[in-house]
This record gives sequence, structure tokens and C-alpha cells, in this order.
Amino acid sequence: MNTVKVRARGAFRPLAFFLEAIPRIAPRLLGLAVVNAFALWFLYQLVIDGVWFLSAAISIIALGINVIFLREHLYPFRWLSPGLVFMVLMVAYPVLFTVYTAFTNYGDGHLLTKPQAIRVLEKEQYLPEGAPTYQWTAFRSPSGEYVLWLVADNGETLLARPSEPAQKVTPGQADVGPLGEDGIPQSIKGYQRLSRVDSVRFLSELGKLAFGQAPNTIKINTLDQAAQYQQQYVYDKKQNALVDRATGTVYHADDTEGVFVSSDGQALRPGYQVLVGWENFQRLLASPALRGPFIRVFIWTVAFGLLSALLTFVLGLFLALVFDDPAVPARKLFRSVLVIPYAVPGFISILIWVGMLNPELGVISTALQKLLGWSPPWFSDPWWTKAGVLLVNLWLGYPYMMLVCSGALQAIPDELYEAAEIDGASAWQRFWNITLPLLLISVGPLLIGCFAFNFNNFVVIYLFNRGGPPMADAMTPAGHTDILISYTFRLAFASRRGADFGYAATITTVIFLVVAIITAFNFRYTKVWEEVSESV
Amino acid sequence: MKPKALVLLGLVLTLVLSAACAPKATPTPTSPPTIAPTKAPTEMPTEAPTKVPRKLTIWADELRAPVMEEVSKAFTAKYGVDVAVEMVPFGDMRDRLKVAGPAGEGPDIIMGPHDWLGELVSSGLLAPIDLGAKKELFLSAALQAFTYEGKLYGMPQMTENVALFYNPKLVAEAPKTLDELEKVAGQLESEGKVKYGFLIHAGDAYHFFPIMTAFGGYVFGRDAQGNYNPQDVGIDSPGSIAAAEWLDMMVKRGHLSKDVDWEVMHTMFQDGKAAMIISGPWALPRIKESGISYAVSKIPAGPAGEARPFIGVRGFMVSAFSKDLLLAQTFLTEFVATEEIMQRIFELDPGASAFLPVRERIKDPDTAAFAEAGENGLAMPAIPEMSTVWSAWGDAVTLIYQQRLSPDEAFKKAAEQIRTAIKGG
Amino acid sequence: MSSFSWVKEFRASRSRQRMMQLLLRVTIGILAGIYALFPVVFIISSSMDPANSLAYSRFVPRNASPVNYQRLLSNPIYPYPRWMLNSIKVSSTSSVLAVFLTALSAYAFSRFRFRGRRPLLLTVFLIQVFPNTLAMVALFLLIQQIGYYIPSLGLNTHGGLILVYLGGVLGFNTWLMKGFFDSIPRDLDESAMIDGASHWQAFRHVVLPLVRPILAVVGILTFIGTYGDYVLARVLIQSKEDFTLAVGLYTLVATQYTQQWGVFAAGALIGALPIMVVFLFLQDQLVSGLTRGAVRG
Repeated sequence: MNTVKVRARGAFRPLAFFLEAIPRIAPRLLGLAVVNAFALWFLYQLVIDGVWFLSAAISIIALGINVIFLREHLYPFRWLSPGLVFMVLMVAYPVLFTVYTAFTNYGDGHLLTKPQAIRVLEKEQYLPEGAPTYQWTAFRSPSGEYVLWLVADNGETLLARPSEPAQKVTPGQADVGPLGEDGIPQSIKGYQRLSRVDSVRFLSELGKLAFGQAPNTIKINTLDQAAQYQQQYVYDKKQNALVDRATGTVYHADDTEGVFVSSDGQALRPGYQVLVGWENFQRLLASPALRGPFIRVFIWTVAFGLLSALLTFVLGLFLALVFDDPAVPARKLFRSVLVIPYAVPGFISILIWVGMLNPELGVISTALQKLLGWSPPWFSDPWWTKAGVLLVNLWLGYPYMMLVCSGALQAIPDELYEAAEIDGASAWQRFWNITLPLLLISVGPLLIGCFAFNFNNFVVIYLFNRGGPPMADAMTPAGHTDILISYTFRLAFASRRGADFGYAATITTVIFLVVAIITAFNFRYTKVWEEVSESV
Repeated sequence: MKPKALVLLGLVLTLVLSAACAPKATPTPTSPPTIAPTKAPTEMPTEAPTKVPRKLTIWADELRAPVMEEVSKAFTAKYGVDVAVEMVPFGDMRDRLKVAGPAGEGPDIIMGPHDWLGELVSSGLLAPIDLGAKKELFLSAALQAFTYEGKLYGMPQMTENVALFYNPKLVAEAPKTLDELEKVAGQLESEGKVKYGFLIHAGDAYHFFPIMTAFGGYVFGRDAQGNYNPQDVGIDSPGSIAAAEWLDMMVKRGHLSKDVDWEVMHTMFQDGKAAMIISGPWALPRIKESGISYAVSKIPAGPAGEARPFIGVRGFMVSAFSKDLLLAQTFLTEFVATEEIMQRIFELDPGASAFLPVRERIKDPDTAAFAEAGENGLAMPAIPEMSTVWSAWGDAVTLIYQQRLSPDEAFKKAAEQIRTAIKGG
Repeated sequence: MSSFSWVKEFRASRSRQRMMQLLLRVTIGILAGIYALFPVVFIISSSMDPANSLAYSRFVPRNASPVNYQRLLSNPIYPYPRWMLNSIKVSSTSSVLAVFLTALSAYAFSRFRFRGRRPLLLTVFLIQVFPNTLAMVALFLLIQQIGYYIPSLGLNTHGGLILVYLGGVLGFNTWLMKGFFDSIPRDLDESAMIDGASHWQAFRHVVLPLVRPILAVVGILTFIGTYGDYVLARVLIQSKEDFTLAVGLYTLVATQYTQQWGVFAAGALIGALPIMVVFLFLQDQLVSGLTRGAVRG
């Protein structure tokens, strides 16, 4: 509810308007101006460097902020703007990136962009047939210039400077001093001979120099060898191909597959990432993954999400209620102890649980053996594994619910309880008719969120038993506790190409759509709760 | 009326302010500052090293990072080139390289096992290495492991493989064949001396592989050059199935348990409740710490010959996005590939060194035993298709342990799943 | 009002029943406490095991000694105390900022009715639900780019990390807070504004004090969430001096075979202490502001 200031319509009196309005709006305008200045500076840098996505994002954000703060009826958005800015940048962008990736073949073998792939391939060198290789010794002038003394396999000696043709010299000529014992001149006028150690020290510079003159440039290949290495692949923009200068083969860039391939089918490595449109999605739909145990995995995923949310909520709420009473002794201590599962890294907790439940040595199993003569086959029986992972998830998740409920319970006024008690309501009735409905107003969406979180809770499933025990009758590798994301990801990352991120992104997007639909559907119910709260 | 004026005012102020603080030109952040050659005269360069502002970056995992830090200090002292060693968790290294390398934030040198070659080379992330004359000094099997499609992509550091650990107090002499192993295990169990005579932790195909080879089984066939051929999947070959049947038999006779995972297996061995296990050199620290008496030997041979475990070769690889390939390579060939440094690395990171002068001098009986066990081992396939194998194969082994499928069915199904995945399912 | 004193009398006469009730609550607390602490006992056991194995069955490991704590605290390579400080710094900053941001948004969603409100609420929620496995690559590249222009917010900085954390804060927490805000009657705002207060003033002086419990809850949830996060942090932070605790500990066990569970356990236990402290501190805020009938009338 915006307070509406009613102003009498009349002539626009500029001076009065400004004098009246300035103290009110000046801070806002000033702030806006600062934000805009910053945004413009930032954009300038980004555009110079061609960083398109970030430029677009910053423009949108800056524009949005301006609009929000200048238009009166967008007042509520001013409150939302800080949060929204972060969300757009840090959450929306990765989501968009993932969805974009789903339309590409980004992954092993197609990791680089086309320019990067070309750059990598153009770095490859080859030695033309018949070209000699030389042993080299470097000489360095005080001003940082270099000259190489080269000894070929056939004994020929050359003196090479950068960008000058290599000269055949003998000692005494061209300022070259007498040869030492190792057959290398001890000095060259104006230059110091570099020892092996020093050659390494200056190797970075030496390596980048091209000695001699094109096309017979000599480059240093290793600490012992220099030769007329030539760039092997050259990118021809007109043909959109890489030409192999050693063999003359032309590798055309196949921009639909993302690979350089010759006419006889030979492909160069690496390939590059390209947009492949709906290919990944088609692959997913046609994949044996969907035909295999998909339905079973899906049902378990939904069940796992629901049960995790429900069980943690029940236990969390129960404990929150138990300790909602300020008269309980050592209340703070109890609560602190109960929150400990949340404070310890889940990593080690899950593994400790796995250990405790281990049928051979685990404490819980051996204790049950002693008491009941039997302990559940926690990791080999499909149902017991499911029970086990739910049990561990309950331990991990109830503190969160306990915290949330403890907070949300404070929103329920005591008077309601007192009134109900006077009316003779039992504890259970008070809970069911007052506590639960009012609690669900704020906590309800969190339950849905908890469901969504556990739907994709890869970590617990993997650490507990890697999704196992394996299904004996499945067409694709699948385990009985595999959830959708662990199951499908395994397929994406165990493909013939190694890791296929594009495919994984497709799977992620599809799974998200599924969860989003289920979640959005549930939201229709929260509308009801919202209205209930407004009448309290 | 009012809103319009507001907007106008706002824009005016904005323009004024932005004009006031004109954007400063900042350098394009694409590459690090280029090296400015030192203008200062250098007298005898071997005296006071003038530092050329060039740096090498090495990525190593948590075990090797400290080793490389020490070693690279010597390099800096000798050559005046800075070396930065970054510790990257083993599990993250590949993924990080895939993103950081092309983005220009990657290392020059990365340390990892050879089976990463397939995915890294196919993505163009590694540069070939030319070892020059130093090539002769390395174990040829290790060099072969780092060769991919004919080019060498890594300089080996050490080799790792599993072997048989046994408790000499319980087992007088290490069994030479699998039949002997079974007999000894059975005997110990019936005498009540141990709970399990022999253990491989459940569901692990890697540790099971040597036994598979002892029956003539294989994962991928090899062509004439020794490259792995992904079209020849050997999980359902007669040898592999025979091995699976042996496994099944061991489970049925109660020698192996489905509930024994890696942690349990070691705890039992350390407590003297298991007499023989298959594990690798990484387990030595904890076994030594526990004080249990132990010895290492070759894995027993089977009907088709000796057991050949997978060999993992760890080494140095050069990133294709390194800003100074020559320097990175020279660091390896000139500095690391020397007796002094390789020996130091061996001392700090014990393991069968792949550098022959050091390897031949290994005195530690455990390391020597592991080296012997892996003498005829097979390099783990580095081809990208290997990633399709682990889930299916591991599941098959698990199903046999859990007795939910016959060995024949389990391995046949795994082979089928692998073939489908390779075809592109 | 007279009905209150009557109620008090009514309650007092049931004092013995009350005692029984309290006893019951304490018993439940103890049982729940055992359930909560049981695995933690094994974490403690693991931390005392020099052989670095995970404790499965023994409470007291063979050769138990506190050597892992020594290894942890005096390790020349792993600056554990520094990691703890980093984590505390990042988490506190994130949670304070998060509470602030969320409160602003929740207030807006709760108090204002504007076009696009419900769809926006839904979007804010749904977008958080997106599995963020591949988001790592995107975030790495994004922060890298931002870092070129604003170095303090780039890769390998805590600023960049906090930036990313704040992005993820809006979703669920907004809903939670909004629900709580909804339960504060609008009459309060309105009466304040009739008296001449602006929205901001009504928010700050009237509503905010009443929602302290939920602020505390969101604060501690964000603190714990960011404290324990290793997925995002390990993508963005590379140099080991700047690791947060979760990342540092993770590297101890992310090796292929030689996981140092003992040291990890020791680290996890010590690392849990700041959380407990924050929680103890914030528990005082978990008191209802709507009791005492001060609001009515």
C-alpha cells in the first residue's frame, strides 16, 4: 500500500516544484547518478574487451535500477532491487549458461571455442623433410640481444641472428672468436656466451625469437636442439579450413560437428564447441536411459524427496514444539546439542553413518545382531538401502526444520492458544487447528523447497552407497537408490567421449523442468494459506 | 508531469557525474605483462642471477604439492626462475584444467596419472613433450603409458599398482597360485584364526582386474602398436567369465563378503582378522601405523598365467595453454629428469620411480615388492571410452558379491551396457 | 485484563501436571540428544586415531592419541587456523548481508501488492531449485571476468565468494521471512504511517523488531550454509591460504586413496565450534515478539 500523495492540479510552477522536491528526491537522484556513472565506466571497459554477456547483464541491471527508482509506481521494486541484482547475476546467469550449454556439444573433445582450437593447432610445429637440426649455444649482449651459434649434424656451423639470414662463419670472421675445446666459440664481439644454466634462465626470451630469416627461420625446440621448425597448420579464412603444410591435406571446419576433418574422414584433434541445436534433447529422448529403469528411478526420486521433506519436518517440528516452552531446564543447551548434526560437515557424517551401519563391523549392526540376532542388510538389499539413506537424510536434515519451525512458531500469538485452552481444546486439537495451519503459511513453501532440494540431492545418495545396490535387470547401469540426477549424469559422463557437458546440461534442464512443474503445481495451494493469514 | 521532470533531472545529474569521472583506460586483461628484457648490463651471468620476471606454475595434488615445492625451490635457486606450486585436490584437477586452461588461468605443468590422457588430449589441453636424450632413462612401459596416438604427452614420475598384502604370522609363505590362495584361506578360516582368509573389498573392479588377467580376461583388446581398441570389449570374454566364476565361488564358499568395503577390509587386516588382502602402496602408511606384521608379494597366478594388475603411471604433463611451453618442458627435461632430483622426489613421495637410475637402486622391500608385482602389469587404458567401463563393470562385480546374478549373466550384461555406451547411447 | 489473571490461576493449580510435562520434555530432549550425538561420538573417535581411518565399531581406537589435532594445528602446509578465520569472516559477512537483503525483499513481498508479485515470488523460488552442477563453470568465468575490472571481487578473493553466496540467498529465505512478515498485522504499519512515518521508517522501527526470531533463523541458516559450503568455494578459491575451512578439510580427503579421516574429523570438530557459538548467541533472539498482548488494542 503506497501512500498516495494527492496534489491539487494546477499550473506547473517550476521554481516551487524544485524547491519543494529537491530535498526529497535529491538523495535518490544522487545515488542513481553514482550508480549510473559506475555502470557506464564498467560498461566501457567491458565493451572494449568484447565481454558481451557481462555487458548485457550490467546494462539490464543499470537500466532496471534507473527505471525502478524513477518511476513512482515501481516503488516496491526498490526494496527488491538489491536482492534481485545479486540473483540475476549469480543465479540467473548460471542457469542461462547451463541452458545454453544444453544446446551445444561442449564437453571432452569439444572443449575449446573455434578460435581457441585454431590457436592450439597453429602452435603445432613440424620439421620439413630434409631440414637439418642443430645444436645451439646462445650468446647474449648486455642490451639483451641474442645470437645463436649453430652446429648441424654434418658439422656445418652457422651464426644466426633474429630476423637476419643465418651465415656460415668460421672462427675469425664476423667478430667470432676462436673455438674452445668443445668446438664452440669462446666469445663473439659484443656478446657473452651463455652457460647451460643461463640458457635456461633466459629461455623464455630465446624461445620466442625466430633466428634467421623467413622462410628459413630457425627456432629453438629443446635445450639441445634448434631447427627450422615450421608451423604445421595454417588457418585459411576463405576456405574455413586448416591446411597441413607438411602433407598439404586440407581439413575443413565442420561447424555442425565442431571438428576439422579432411575429405577422407581424418579428423584433427582437438575439436571445438558448436551449437548443435536440439540434438542433445533428441538424444535424451531416444536414449536407452529413458527406456531402461527410468520409471523406477523417477518414482524413487519423487518418493525420496517427499519422504525426506516429510520426515525431517515431522521430527524438526516435534523437537521445536518440545523446546518451545521457556520453562524447560537447560533449553539452550538442548537446542544447541540438537543442532549439531547441521554444524558438522555432511561429508564425514554420512560416511560415519555408513560405517556404523556396516553389517560386518558397524556398531549399529553388531548391536542389533546381539539384541535381535539379525541386522538389516543395509547396503545389499534394495529396500533396506532405501530405508538407510532416508534414515541418514533424516539425521542430516531435521535440525534445519527444527530451526525453521522454532522461528516460525514465534509468529503464532499466545492468545490463540490461551483462548483455545479456555474453550476446552486438547493439546492435539490446539496443534492441529492452530499451530499447524499457521505454521504452514511460512513453512509450507519450505517443505516444497526441501522436496526440490532432495530431488537432486546427489551427495547423500552417492556417499551412502553410490546409488547402489545395482539393479540386476536394467539395460543401463543403475542402482536401486539412484535418483534421477545421479542416474542420468552417470550416463552423460560415461559416454564414449568422456565427459559430455552439453548432454549433462540437457539432462539438468529437463530435470529442472520436471521439478519446476511439480513445484509450481504445489504453489497453487500456498495461495490458500496466504489468504488465511490475512484474515488472522 | 512530475515523473517526467524527475527523469529529466536524473539524467542530467547522471551525465554531469559521469563526465566528471571520465573512465580511465585500463590495460586489456588478456595476458600477463610481457617480459621486458633486462637492460642492465650483466657481467658474468653465473654470479648474481638477474631475475627474469618469468614464472612457472605447477598444479599438484595434496601429496605431491609439498614435494614439488621443495624441489622447485632448488630450481629457482639455480636458474633464477620462479616456480609457483598450487595445490589442487586430485578430484578437481581435470575439471579445473578444462575451465581454467582455455581461460588463461591454467598452469604450465600438471601432475597426474596417465589415464587422464584420453580426455585431456582429445580436448586439446595437453602439449606433446620431447624428452630428447633423457628418454632412455625412463621405464619404457611408463613411457608407453604416457603415449597417446603416437605422441608422448607426459614425463613419468612413478608407477603404482596393487599387490597382495599378507600377514606373515598367519601365512608362512605367500601363495603362488589362486588355488593355493583359496586353500590357505579356507584353512585359516576353519582353524578359526581369522574371520576371512582373503579379502578384496566388495564391488571393486580395479582390484579385481589382476585376477581377471590370471584367467586370461581383459577389458579392451590391444592392437599391434599396443594401443587399446575400444571396439574390442573383453568383459564377456571366456577368460573374464572364468574369473567371474572364481569370484562367485569364493563368495559362495564364504571367503569373500559383500559387506566388506575398503575401510572394513583394511580395519580387518590391521586387526589381524583378515590374513590376505589386495591393496596398493597408498595403504602402507596406515598398515605400518597399525603395527600389524605384514609383507607384500605378487598376486597369485591363475590358470592362464600370472596376474597382471593395472599400472597407473603418475607423471608431469604440460598444458597446451602454457604461456611458455619451452620453459616448462626444459624444467622437466633439464632439471627434474636428473638423478639428484628424481631421487629426492622418490624420498619424499615413495613409490616405484619410473626413472631407471633411481628405480634400480630402490632398497625398500615394500616398494621393490610392488614394483615386482607390477612388472608385467598392464597400463590402465587412457582412452576416453574407459569411462564407460567402470560403472557397468563395477556393478557386475557387486552383483556377484551380492549373489543376485550369476557370474556369466553379470559380466555379459556389463559388456553389453559398455558396448551400448560406446556406440553412443 | 481480568481474564488473564484467571487463566494464571487456572494454570498454577495444575503445577504437578506441569512438572510431569517438563520432565517428559527433558526426557525427549535427552533421547533426541543421543540420536543427534551418537555419530558425532564416532567422529571424535576417528579424530583420535593416528592411523587416520574412519571409526566403524570402536569407541576408542587402537593407539588412541591426540596426534591428529597436532597434525592439524601445527601443519606447515595447511594453515588450519587461518582457514577457520577465513570461514568465519566469509560466513559472518554473508549472513549479515543476507539477512539485510532478504528482509528488504520479504517486506516488499509481504506489504505491497504489485503486478507480477506472485510470478516473481515463484520465479525467485524456482530459480534456486535449478541443479547447480554445471553452474560452477559459469560462475568461474563470471567471477574471473568481474575480477579483471574489480580485483577485490575476482577469482581467489573472499569478496567474489561472498558475492556468489549472496546470489543464492534470496530464494527460500525470502519465502520464510515473508511468511513471518505476513503474520505481523498490517494495522501496525498503517498506524505508523498515518502518524507520518514513511515505509522505510515503519519497516525499521515497527516491523523489524517484531521479526527478530526469523532474522535470527535466516542469519544462522546462512551462516551454517556458507560455512559448510565447499562446492562453490573450491571453484573460486585457489590459493591455499585463502581456503575456507570446508575447502581446506575437503582437500584432506579428496585424494585418491590416502584420505586422512582422522585429521579431517579433528578439523570438523574444531570447525563446528564457531557455529555452536553463533547459535547459542542467536538463540536469545528466538523469542516471540507478539506475546504480552502489547500489540492489541
